[in-house]
Amino acid sequence: MHHPVRRLFPYFVVLAGIASLAWAVTFGTLPPADFSFNNGDEVKTVDPAKAEGSPEHRILESLYEGLLRQMPAASELDSDGLMPMTPQQGVAEFPPEISEDGKTYTFRIRPEARWSNGRPMTADDFVWSWRRTLHPETASQYAYQLYYLEGAQQYNEGVLEVGDRVEIESGERKFDLQPFPRGTMQYGVLQNIIKPPQPEGMDETDWKRTWIYQVDVKPELEGAVQWDAAGALGFFSKARAAQYDDDFDAGSLQVVRQVLPHFESEVGAQAKDDQTLVVTLKNPTPYFIHLAAFYPLYPVCRECIEEHGEEWSRPENLVTNGPYVLQMRRIRDRIRMIKNAYYWDADNVKLEVIDAMPVKSETTALNMYLKGQLDWIITVPNTIMPMLRERPDFRPAPALITYFYRLNVAKPPLDNVLVRRALNAAMNKQEIVERVTRAGQLPARGIVPPGIAGYTGAETGEFNIKEARRLLAEAGYPGGRGLPTIEILYNTSEGHRAIAEVIQQQWKQNLGINVELRNLEWGVYLDTVTNTQFQVARAGWIADYPDPNTFLDMWLTGGPQNNTNWSNAEYDNLIHQAAAEGDPERRMQILQDAERILMDELPIIPIYFYVTTNMVKPHVRGFSPNVQDNHPLHIMSIQKD
Amino acid sequence: MLWYLVKRIIWMAGTLWVVFTLTWFLMRAVPGGPFDAEKKIPEEIRRNIEARYKLDQPLHVQYLDNLAHVIRLDFGPSFKLLDYPVNRVIAEGFPVSASLGVFAMIFALTLGLTAGVASAIGRRTAYDYGFMALATVGVAVPNFVLASLAIVLFVFYLGWFPAAGWGTLRQIALPAICLGAPFAGYIARLTRTGMLEVLGQDYIRTAYAKGLRHRRVIVRHALRGAILPVVSYLGPAVAAILTGSIVIERIFALPGLGIHFIEAATQRDYTLAMGMVLVYTFLLFVMNTLVDLSYGLIDPRVKLK
Amino acid sequence: MAHVETKPETQAARSDLPPADRYASLLEEARKLHGVSHMQDAWRRLRRNWAAMASLAFLVLMSVAAVLTPLVPLQSPILQDLENRQFLPPNASSRTLQLTSDGETKTLTQLLAEFRQEIERLEQDARTASPEERVKIQEEIDARYAVEHPYQKFWHQPDWLAWRLTDLRIILFGDWCLPSLCGADALGRDLLARLFWGGRVSLVVGVVATLVSLLIGVSYGATAGFLGGWVDDVMMRIVDVLYSVPFLFVVIFLITILTEETIKTEYLEPYGIDQIMIFYVVIGAIYWLTMARVVRGQVISLKNEQFVDAARVIGAGSFRIIFRHLIPNVMGIVIVYLTLTIPAVMLFESFLSFLGLGISPPDVSWGLLVNEGIQVITPIKIYWWLVLFPSLTLTLTLFALNFFGDGLRDALDPKMKNR
Repeated sequence: MHHPVRRLFPYFVVLAGIASLAWAVTFGTLPPADFSFNNGDEVKTVDPAKAEGSPEHRILESLYEGLLRQMPAASELDSDGLMPMTPQQGVAEFPPEISEDGKTYTFRIRPEARWSNGRPMTADDFVWSWRRTLHPETASQYAYQLYYLEGAQQYNEGVLEVGDRVEIESGERKFDLQPFPRGTMQYGVLQNIIKPPQPEGMDETDWKRTWIYQVDVKPELEGAVQWDAAGALGFFSKARAAQYDDDFDAGSLQVVRQVLPHFESEVGAQAKDDQTLVVTLKNPTPYFIHLAAFYPLYPVCRECIEEHGEEWSRPENLVTNGPYVLQMRRIRDRIRMIKNAYYWDADNVKLEVIDAMPVKSETTALNMYLKGQLDWIITVPNTIMPMLRERPDFRPAPALITYFYRLNVAKPPLDNVLVRRALNAAMNKQEIVERVTRAGQLPARGIVPPGIAGYTGAETGEFNIKEARRLLAEAGYPGGRGLPTIEILYNTSEGHRAIAEVIQQQWKQNLGINVELRNLEWGVYLDTVTNTQFQVARAGWIADYPDPNTFLDMWLTGGPQNNTNWSNAEYDNLIHQAAAEGDPERRMQILQDAERILMDELPIIPIYFYVTTNMVKPHVRGFSPNVQDNHPLHIMSIQKD
Repeated sequence: MLWYLVKRIIWMAGTLWVVFTLTWFLMRAVPGGPFDAEKKIPEEIRRNIEARYKLDQPLHVQYLDNLAHVIRLDFGPSFKLLDYPVNRVIAEGFPVSASLGVFAMIFALTLGLTAGVASAIGRRTAYDYGFMALATVGVAVPNFVLASLAIVLFVFYLGWFPAAGWGTLRQIALPAICLGAPFAGYIARLTRTGMLEVLGQDYIRTAYAKGLRHRRVIVRHALRGAILPVVSYLGPAVAAILTGSIVIERIFALPGLGIHFIEAATQRDYTLAMGMVLVYTFLLFVMNTLVDLSYGLIDPRVKLK
Repeated sequence: MAHVETKPETQAARSDLPPADRYASLLEEARKLHGVSHMQDAWRRLRRNWAAMASLAFLVLMSVAAVLTPLVPLQSPILQDLENRQFLPPNASSRTLQLTSDGETKTLTQLLAEFRQEIERLEQDARTASPEERVKIQEEIDARYAVEHPYQKFWHQPDWLAWRLTDLRIILFGDWCLPSLCGADALGRDLLARLFWGGRVSLVVGVVATLVSLLIGVSYGATAGFLGGWVDDVMMRIVDVLYSVPFLFVVIFLITILTEETIKTEYLEPYGIDQIMIFYVVIGAIYWLTMARVVRGQVISLKNEQFVDAARVIGAGSFRIIFRHLIPNVMGIVIVYLTLTIPAVMLFESFLSFLGLGISPPDVSWGLLVNEGIQVITPIKIYWWLVLFPSLTLTLTLFALNFFGDGLRDALDPKMKNR
């Protein structure tokens, strides 16, 4: 039997070759897209509640539409070569009706707005989507962008007070891995929380789960809760504790999944009717119209999620409401979007098919751009910046993005403010922007970039070696003696490494500090920063909305993005004060005071303000540089002559 | 033969189980769970989520549960690519990596064998030295350098190929060549050595003495004997191609498995990492078995036990 | 194979002599007779292979250069000069070791003199100070050496040997140093100096990791081969299983785990383990499999060789057999394998650098330099020297190691004997 098999061997090799060929070529059957751009990385998800980061932003903005949408406000670029961007009508009309105290926004949902399955959009779509984002088990990273709404934070954190209306979930859910659609719901008014004594050795969380909620459960009539009707008393708990066995028999204490504030009653988002959405804010928030256009507040399609469960975000299932729909997604290859025929402005959407490529290497992306495989790339390698700056298709623009280092103030020697100031003073930022980044970035002495109307930032000390050495000596480390090695953490990238190497050298030469570098991939880097397992960590922050607050409220004590262990009561106070302040000028003044504290205490060292380095083919129309680095794809077109 | 295959399959199952267990415990030993990358979520919510992924169970329960899923070839959802189950990531990436690898191997074998035979026949001629110097360069240059230079030369100076991406034959050619080049060099050297050894043996002299044509002797008799070291090299070569494809996939932006392999490990995407490790183990094992099998097919003297 | 050339005539000659004389003459002849050991034989054959010899010369040169790098009058490998020397093409204008700080430029010798003055002043104080203060001053002096000594500014934490060699270099060459023959990189550092210092790291990684693999592989393989039977079976099955493990993954995983801050500060740094050491061990730990197989095979075949039997017949104990006869014979193939593993390890190091998992700055290795080189390959502008020199150095070294390894294998191959 050996012989024939042996003779077949070469044929087998040939066959494998042909099979691979066939396999490979089936990939190529895809018709070319009208427009391809580099999205920089694979998107983590197309779910607005879980997305974070710019690659996701670019995709979500095309797939979805919020109440409002950031659009160019002028027909020409201004004198700086920038396009002003303002929120304009999206799903809702612009402007929304704003109450006198600035706390109530009434949005009129436009009747033309539809989902890509043809269903008209309603105000309830937003209420439902925001509830989903805020639901604790969704664990949305950006849920705090909804905290401006009355009661939203309490809902997200599951904080209950006696007298609140509550919603109680029990029973099985349709899908294991996601909270919606929910199990059996009961509604009522919380009458009392019975807290048993905390047993020895039981931790806080386990103990809280055994709390008993005494609720006046209200009846439901045709899906509507009868709040005024007489209710029935019920006892609910998330985990049954043994010590209740005497007081409650099996029937009277119900073990449930969740007890949360009743969303419609307690959270400031109400659908008055299908066309009217009333949003009640905690504070007058002048930038809320920008947030209304920001992706954490985008709506998601309820029936799609309730039908498909975890698989709702697959291209074949996904229903969206933006100018494009997801046609195909092949991981690490491309995201292909095609025009949404149901989009209200579909007639003006020029590009029919768009490919977003997740090319990580800047050099590869540049190669593809130069060979005409991409029409737009978002970054270019720093090493050839001077040559690129001479090209007309290089479109740099200052952006509301700050590059800075976080200092972990819990770790010595960085707990000493003098050391932090010395590090800042020993950093030659001018050299970094002139010699390393080289795209016209501005050295930063504050965290808030210039270019926000009505705001002047506070500044920290400038580059001064003598002063730096003096500060270090004053901190007890004359000449750098006795100072432990400091480690700079950055996420793997050539650009970040070059900057870190320069700073390493500057600190060593100017202060005598030994600096080590450590790089991690993005996911692990985030993990490490969130758990403050670093000494110095690189960071960049993109304005979520054009207001200084986006750069300042993250440094509140315990804020989810603080990650420096820094805490300052006066600072917290000023930020809260600014949030409540109605007068815009006064508000900016307070924020500036806050930034002054930040720049004095330096839990972060600002390094430079970004310049975005887009390269766009000359045949692309409708691309306009702007400080938000926001480039709506649906207004772009291709003109080849 | 059949018994041999059955035995190999049992061994493979054992190997996969060992790898699964080692990887599983290695990953559990890392400080920080898979959900730490998210913002600091309240403890209770974290427990809810962990319960959802059964992370609140005792270790052995988790282990058995995971093992049961893996046996059913269900690797679960990816922790970092939220819209994707691991199975789909593998299903999308595998064909790309596989075709890239096969093309690279075909290229390497064709070029390597030809060059090796030519060198051996024309021993100590300019051909020989030229080929062997080139082959050694192929072995000694890191393939990311080779690929970067090839892009400048073939894509920009000569304009023969597109810069990156996957889909058309022209897009596949350059990455496959860059990936296969070091192996071509290695195979050429192995073939040359093997040929030189075989050409000196009696049966070749006999073949010539029988009056067989030169070409027939080389192709039918000598090459078969000389190819053995090449075949035995194919096992390690597959391992090396898997490594090499990571570099090539990155430089040419190809949607293969290699990038996931690296990212799953560096980003600590546990489920994806497990899927990747098992897939790669499976591939390596199959290739090693095939190599052992083909020994028997090519060389009648080798008997499989 | 240890092997003795005996001549048939001597056998014929001895039979006609009386027994006592016979033994005497036999002994005498045996003394005269110089066994050509296998090694000598191989060396003789190796010497005839010019490619292998040229490679050997190159490798010796490289190793010497790597050890003596601090003695070579090079520029600083870490000192950046973004103002004047960014992407400076190769040139021959000579340089001095100097440092510009706060607008003031001083040469290394000036800085050294200043530093010595400071130290002398402190020592002066110490002489008159009370015992407690003296301890304090001594501590300060140590701290100054560790932080403010001019060497610390020009080189990254030089070890003891590097420190002494640098002293010698200052005596020999003063502030003079070689021009930037290979140009300067994106941050204005001298590439020639970086190549030398990188070579130090790369060669050491290559050699040490290979030695680690040698240690594991030889002992594992030899044990399996000697013991034989079921132990051998089990041990080799384990190797088979490990062959199918994707080690790249394990390496990446281990490196990310071991550089984790908590693990690093709690478990590794107290024992003086740094990242480069982790590198050696982790890489070494994956390259031992083939070594184990090869050694086992050799040991098994040698165990039943005639010369082992012969040794046993003369009455040699097994200890003597193993160390006097077996190990030296295995060493041949092991050395061949070593010369082929070192390049593999060096390539692997460059591969890890490509992935961003390699040596971290300001340490430098060839892999890192090659990787920095490919970063500047764009169709718009190629800083050719940053690509050419690191790639050339790495390639030539790997080339030489390969050639030398091949030559050595041919030389040690019994079939090639006396050809």
